[in-house]
Amino acid sequence: MSLETVTTLPWVEKYRPKTLNDVVNQEEVITSLKNILKTKAVPHMLFAGPPGVGKTATAHAFARDLYGPNYIEDGWFVEINASDERGIQTIRDKVKMFARQIPMGGEVGFKILLLDESDQLTDDAQHAFRRVMEQYSSTCRFILAANYSNRIIEPIQSRCAVFRFRPLLKKDIIGRIKWIAEQEKLEVDDAALETIYEFCEGDMRRAINTLQAAASISRKIDEKTVYYILGYVSRGEIRKILELAMSGNFIQARDELRKLIYVQGLAGSDIVSAIYRELFYLDLSEEDKLELIDLLGEVDYRMAEGGTEEVQLMAFLARLAAKSKKVNVGR
Amino acid sequence: MPQLWTEKYRPKKVAEVVGNQDSVKAFLEWMKSWEIGNPAKKAALLYGPAGVGKTSLVLAYGREYGYDVVEVNASDWRNEEKMKAVVGESSQYASLDGYSKKIILVDEVDGIAGREDAGGISALRKIINETRVPIVMVANNPWDQKLAPIREQSVMIEFKRLSKTAITKRLKEICEREGIKVPDDVLSKLAERSEGDLRSAIMDLQAVAAGKNTLTEKDLEVLGERNRVKEIFEALRYIFYAKSIRGARAAIEGLELEPQAIYTWILDNAPTQITEPDELAQAFDLLARADIYFARIEKLQMWRLMKYAIPMMTGGVAVARRTPPKGFQKFTFPHKIRLFQQYKNEREIRQSIAWKIASKLHLSSYKAGKEMLPYIGFIISRSDKSKPRIVEYFEFTDEEVGYLKKIYGGVEEKKEEIKEVKVKKPVKHSRGKS
Repeated sequence: MSLETVTTLPWVEKYRPKTLNDVVNQEEVITSLKNILKTKAVPHMLFAGPPGVGKTATAHAFARDLYGPNYIEDGWFVEINASDERGIQTIRDKVKMFARQIPMGGEVGFKILLLDESDQLTDDAQHAFRRVMEQYSSTCRFILAANYSNRIIEPIQSRCAVFRFRPLLKKDIIGRIKWIAEQEKLEVDDAALETIYEFCEGDMRRAINTLQAAASISRKIDEKTVYYILGYVSRGEIRKILELAMSGNFIQARDELRKLIYVQGLAGSDIVSAIYRELFYLDLSEEDKLELIDLLGEVDYRMAEGGTEEVQLMAFLARLAAKSKKVNVGR
Repeated sequence: MPQLWTEKYRPKKVAEVVGNQDSVKAFLEWMKSWEIGNPAKKAALLYGPAGVGKTSLVLAYGREYGYDVVEVNASDWRNEEKMKAVVGESSQYASLDGYSKKIILVDEVDGIAGREDAGGISALRKIINETRVPIVMVANNPWDQKLAPIREQSVMIEFKRLSKTAITKRLKEICEREGIKVPDDVLSKLAERSEGDLRSAIMDLQAVAAGKNTLTEKDLEVLGERNRVKEIFEALRYIFYAKSIRGARAAIEGLELEPQAIYTWILDNAPTQITEPDELAQAFDLLARADIYFARIEKLQMWRLMKYAIPMMTGGVAVARRTPPKGFQKFTFPHKIRLFQQYKNEREIRQSIAWKIASKLHLSSYKAGKEMLPYIGFIISRSDKSKPRIVEYFEFTDEEVGYLKKIYGGVEEKKEEIKEVKVKKPVKHSRGKS
């Protein structure tokens, strides 16, 4: 039933832009980067923009265009994810290891280090990193990728050329999905495309993943298939928790919530965002929804203030349960 | 059968009572008011955790000052009738020989707080009003609402857990008297595990040291964990069923647990004890407030904020719970502790999968787990092949594939079934964020 190619590679990898020409909807950025390529005078760069718009892919494509297809194997390019290695010491050690030597040959006299999710670094780590940037700039140039440039301290921003990546437009996402569908010989109808777009929130990665998951059950993809995937994979767990709470199974809802937090390791802020998305579709009066949105905002703020995620979220679920009980009685 | 050391070394004089010197002093003053004939309150309620010398003080006092101690405990009488017969009679007459003086010791008075013997409490109250001899009551937790009338009639004397030093010192004296050589650090270990309960420390000492000349740390290994869980269960009962914030707050005072640890117990027992959704929502509102206070205490090291957190978490659930539960709901261990043990393996497998995805797809392991893992799990589960190439691509182990199939495999759906999946079509709304 499933196509061979569906289970070979993740499509986000397969269809990752290989060269700067493949990057979608970032014309200004791409033009500037191409100019830099001509002169080979590469500054430190900060790529800022929402998730899934191609920051990491652009960094890779840039390096490939600069050093050739073996840019990683030949040791010119390395990527560190700041959210996995928050300690500045690990980063420094890695940077030193990487920047100490320049590979033989090649016309470019420096390497490139991509520091992904660099807005995850603490202020202290950023200040330390700033010195690292100066110390090693003769042998190594840095590309910092971040969702929010305002979380990057000014001294770092001032040492970087800042490139703003635009959110992807509807036509970009639908166009790309259509194109991939053609390559994979899928039949995707318009309603399905609309639905994929509606729920991916501008994140190309999410859109491609949804398409691939849908293709794993059928090569003809309609709206229902997409909803099935969304219900099953992307939104399934949160929706299940909300439904449990609303049907009076608070304890089960709590247990599922805890699994999300402690087994899957999901951050409270991500759970809040997911609940937020679902809230509008719940079977509640509009007044109750507003009240719950307000409460969810309070939960969000309290978690930032240091409140325990599970406790604050449980308080939300308990309130949701109380609201839906009223609805049931009222009918 | 040799004598129990807890009996053998019970204090013979008031001065031998270990620790709680303020409480001892308060008791002596109250007895003195009886001696001179005008006690302001005719009863005293000695309360505090087990094994800290409440009963011992009364017995030592009686012995030293020539009182007969007439002892009754909760197992002796439960109802009004018995109460009158045993305690009432006794409180009206001097001792049998007509010479020595008398104290009535009512042990485990919190044990008669149950619904079925409410008559016992009102009888006791009457007896206190009319008594001609001192009545001393002992309780672990005196804050039950049922005991309120008795509390008003009594001098309240609190006993606290004993310090490690005090217990060590007492154990040392006993060892000397028994002719056993024990290094100080071993005694100190014994004292520590007793958690302020001298009686249990002496019990432990006798268990490991009786018949020996010396004692080493290794000898302590035979001792099991003494179960203090009972105390927290009891405290939870007081918290959830308290009639006032003050009562609920007082229930945790005797516990040697950090408020944050008690909080976990309250949090996880709330949904079973409070069944009305509105009341549960209110309870959780207050628990969430307490949580914020904990966060502020932590962040600002502002320990005085604790006094706001505690009424929120104790009084909060007591005030919110208005509807009585349907039948008896037992209190349980925090679910979270079980969850951690239960899912440790699953968590590790999931993390390992996330790392493998992260290294291939230029993502952090967090994003890999959140954004990619479910899709990959879904795709692998739907493959006709037993080992699709994507598995090789990520270098997943069989165990990891098994996990993904278990979680994301679900039912084997067919196209027809897909059509029946109920998914509400969302109302179109514009995306507010970038």
